[in-house]
Amino acid sequence: MLIAYISGLCDDLIVFYKDKWGWQQLLKYSLKRLVKSMVTLFIVISVVFLFMRLMPEEGYFGQGYEKLDLVQREAILTNLGLRDPWFVQLGHFYKDLFHGDLGTSITYRPKVAVAEIIESKIFYSLYFGLAALVIALIAGISMGILMARSKNKFWDKLGNGYIVFISAVPAAVYYLFLQLYVTDIFNLPILFNKSNPVSFILPALSMALGPTAGYAMWMRRYMVDELNKDYIKLARAKGLSNKVIMRKHVLRNAFVPMAQYLPASILYTLVGSIYIESLYSIPGTGGLLVDTIQRQDNPIVQALVLIYASVGIISLFLGDMLMASFDPRINLDKQGGIR
Amino acid sequence: MEDILNQKKIVLSVVNLVIKFSLRGRKLTAIREASLDLYEGESLAIVGESGSGKSVFAKSLIGLLDVNGWVDSGSIIYENKDIGKYKKEKPWLKIRGKEIAMVFQDPMTSLNPLKTIGKQIVEAVELHQGLKGQTAKNIVLEILKDVGIYNPEVRYNQFPHEFSGGMRQRVVIAIAIACRPKILICDEPTTALDVTIQAQILQLLKNLQNKYKLSIIYITHDLGVVAKVADRIAVMYAGDIVEIGTSEEVFYNGKHPYTWALLSSLPQLGIKGEPLYSIKGTPPNLFNEIIGDAFAPRNPKALKIDFVLRPPYFSISPTHKAKTWLLDPRSPKVEPPDALKALLNQWGA
Amino acid sequence: MSNTKLNKSIDDIDPLLFDFASYDESRAERAGYSNYSYWQSTFQVFLKNKVAAALLILIIVLVTYTVLQPYLPNQKSPTKIYNNPVTGIQLRNHAPDKEFLFGTNSIGQDLWSRIWSGTRTSLEIGMLVGIWQGLIGITVGCLWGYVRKLDGIITEIYNVLDNIPNTIIMVLLAYILRPSIFTLVFAMCITNWLSMARFVRNQIIIIRDREYNLASRCLGTPIGRIITKNLLPYLVSVIMLQLALAIPMAIGAEVFLTYIGLGLPLNTPSLGNLINEGRVIMMSPSLRYQLIFPAVVLSVITISFYVIGNTFADASDPRNHV
Repeated sequence: MLIAYISGLCDDLIVFYKDKWGWQQLLKYSLKRLVKSMVTLFIVISVVFLFMRLMPEEGYFGQGYEKLDLVQREAILTNLGLRDPWFVQLGHFYKDLFHGDLGTSITYRPKVAVAEIIESKIFYSLYFGLAALVIALIAGISMGILMARSKNKFWDKLGNGYIVFISAVPAAVYYLFLQLYVTDIFNLPILFNKSNPVSFILPALSMALGPTAGYAMWMRRYMVDELNKDYIKLARAKGLSNKVIMRKHVLRNAFVPMAQYLPASILYTLVGSIYIESLYSIPGTGGLLVDTIQRQDNPIVQALVLIYASVGIISLFLGDMLMASFDPRINLDKQGGIR
Repeated sequence: MEDILNQKKIVLSVVNLVIKFSLRGRKLTAIREASLDLYEGESLAIVGESGSGKSVFAKSLIGLLDVNGWVDSGSIIYENKDIGKYKKEKPWLKIRGKEIAMVFQDPMTSLNPLKTIGKQIVEAVELHQGLKGQTAKNIVLEILKDVGIYNPEVRYNQFPHEFSGGMRQRVVIAIAIACRPKILICDEPTTALDVTIQAQILQLLKNLQNKYKLSIIYITHDLGVVAKVADRIAVMYAGDIVEIGTSEEVFYNGKHPYTWALLSSLPQLGIKGEPLYSIKGTPPNLFNEIIGDAFAPRNPKALKIDFVLRPPYFSISPTHKAKTWLLDPRSPKVEPPDALKALLNQWGA
Repeated sequence: MSNTKLNKSIDDIDPLLFDFASYDESRAERAGYSNYSYWQSTFQVFLKNKVAAALLILIIVLVTYTVLQPYLPNQKSPTKIYNNPVTGIQLRNHAPDKEFLFGTNSIGQDLWSRIWSGTRTSLEIGMLVGIWQGLIGITVGCLWGYVRKLDGIITEIYNVLDNIPNTIIMVLLAYILRPSIFTLVFAMCITNWLSMARFVRNQIIIIRDREYNLASRCLGTPIGRIITKNLLPYLVSVIMLQLALAIPMAIGAEVFLTYIGLGLPLNTPSLGNLINEGRVIMMSPSLRYQLIFPAVVLSVITISFYVIGNTFADASDPRNHV
């Protein structure tokens, strides 16, 4: 059934693209969004830049602060470029950026290129993030459909209980207990080890729990909303059975608002989960941001912020496009980013 | 007239139907023992003001009552089966569309905005006629031509928002026709449309009726629509059918005070410079049990018995009957209001 | 009355009844009165959900106890370190027994009183953040959504603020201000109001141009009144939901912050603190109670608020008042 559904979606997409969009309109719209995004990005980076420089100077030295005297400290700071006026520093940053250079780490791993550091970690986060996403999508959407179909009956109540639990209790808490007890019951390794494939399972599953609840909740809500609409009445009057209506009309229509969030979810897998990664000792990018902020490693922080902000903006854009491609009524020109 | 009606077959028969709703813990009786028969091939109009129960009545005929409503007693007989007794979805699936189809009031929201209209019509064809692919599509193109949509090949692939209101209503009618029903119920089919389009849609329905041999029930509050299409008229008030007869009989020889009041309210009766007539008061509260004639409190010429005992049907002719004590031989003779008499004279009754 | 019965008695009717009745116009107007009261219906619908009602009672009991707990007899101080009277050594990691209902932690403090003290703190934080979030979020959201001229500017500001990772702000603040309840509340307030404002703004945009608002504008109603009388009541259910969820979310945020080291100092117990303390020693089963107790209390609180919030939000939507 799922396959039929997906192929139906693809049909729609193809038809839509063939008939509806002129390339010029698409280009114009994309350009407008691009320019706006650049401006936003620029402001964000600059603000973050400033914030980081508000941090106390001691932070740049770690343990060694006491050992150095004033002259030495000044020398180091000047070397790092931290004594230049802020707009000069900003200028350097952008110049390097244009050359594809994300800078060099100063305190986290001194002298190592930021790009290298991020690269080595990002694969793990991506892997787990994507795995969790796929699991969550399949499980969550199916659950949502099941719940909408059996509204107020057993499955709905069960699903609701699950959603309530996962949404209310902070993830940190149930991740802990999962690691504690599930590893016992199933004899799974507690820590992640890239040579042991079994150790991949639990972290991915744990990460999927939260988003599953989210997708299930929204899917159910959108489906129930659709069920109240007039055209469903007509479909029933036509003589279609509830099952068919669910499948052909409600599902399809309910998915439209969901489509908006899809690219965001995919791209955010880059970010990594700080809890999971520290609990299972996964060398990903999860804790990187927090760590580097505390260690005041400005280049890494800036690079990370740049990445995350770009991710956010791109996924908003893609989400709007995806939603527009499913819903023929949406006219791109009128959009300001619907959420 | 008499002979013709006697020879005609009855396709749908509603007998003393009672429909109740439970609302905020209380029970409301929306339809109070309404009865009517639908003859083959005729156009029957059910008129009444808002809240008289017309829509509820129509919905009950295809089992689309809201979740908090139910058929309390009485029967709806179709092809010798009491479909009023159907509680589950399954038996209704055989009736809906295939035997009895419905056209709804608001064409703007009746169609799935994300599916092409072609797909929505072909769905009905595939379901009820068991055809698929190109054969089904050809039938749909036929139907589109029938309902007056030009360029059906192009229109087939378009979405509802690319159609105007009148065109959308045609699509909805096309969907209903595609089911090849025996009975078509139109719930205020033209209320949401411009007056000019109204006439077109009504004419379309008449043509389709002839072509596909349908029996149509029109639900409306617009007497103008009624005059144009109806063979017979049923007047509905407070969940009951108070008068039923042929079009001419009800218009020119109406006997129920409510019918008079309705006709008197037509703006055409207004004399320039004088206030327009309107019926005083409001329809009764259906949560309470209604004793006697429901219209009595609003009727200046009501009899004492109207507040005590509910009137039964009194026959005026084999095809015309009304539920009013005025037709009882013991009641005083009451004439329709003067203004109405004047109008009837004008019309040449 | 069925027709057959009627036919039998039809001839027995008193002929006098066939006279005209006196026409009373007031009878014509007796349509029906509506005894609809918004809040009454809201509570009725709310109470229909047994689970939510039960949890509400639970929360009331819990909160009352939390507030009263320090004043009850036989309660220990949450920060005092207890020593074995005989040996003088700190009573570390004692399993739950009669004296220490929840046991003691790794430095000999009574877990029972720490948990209740922590609950107090967390609830305080949650409520403050929730109220602030509500006030600022709604105000900004309304202005943002309603006044067209501001829409563009505020949207850009929002885009920028949204993309600045909260962590940076939190860490900065932790450096500038010393860790304390105030800092925590301040930090959470600064970063959390955005989502509420966006939400309110989206809702307002949807209803801003509906006919009843256009009608009000035509009548010359000032903006303030339109917002408070037309728009806000529509948003009541949504707002209530956010407020009720503020507490679970604040607790969650607090756990996160403590996790990355930005939480409250240890001598001010909070649920986040306690969980982290417990996490450190969770590997040894005998000491696991130090994690389980705070976790259970936290779960009960968060789940209850979540359910109550959601149920109330559903109940306050007039469309559910059937």
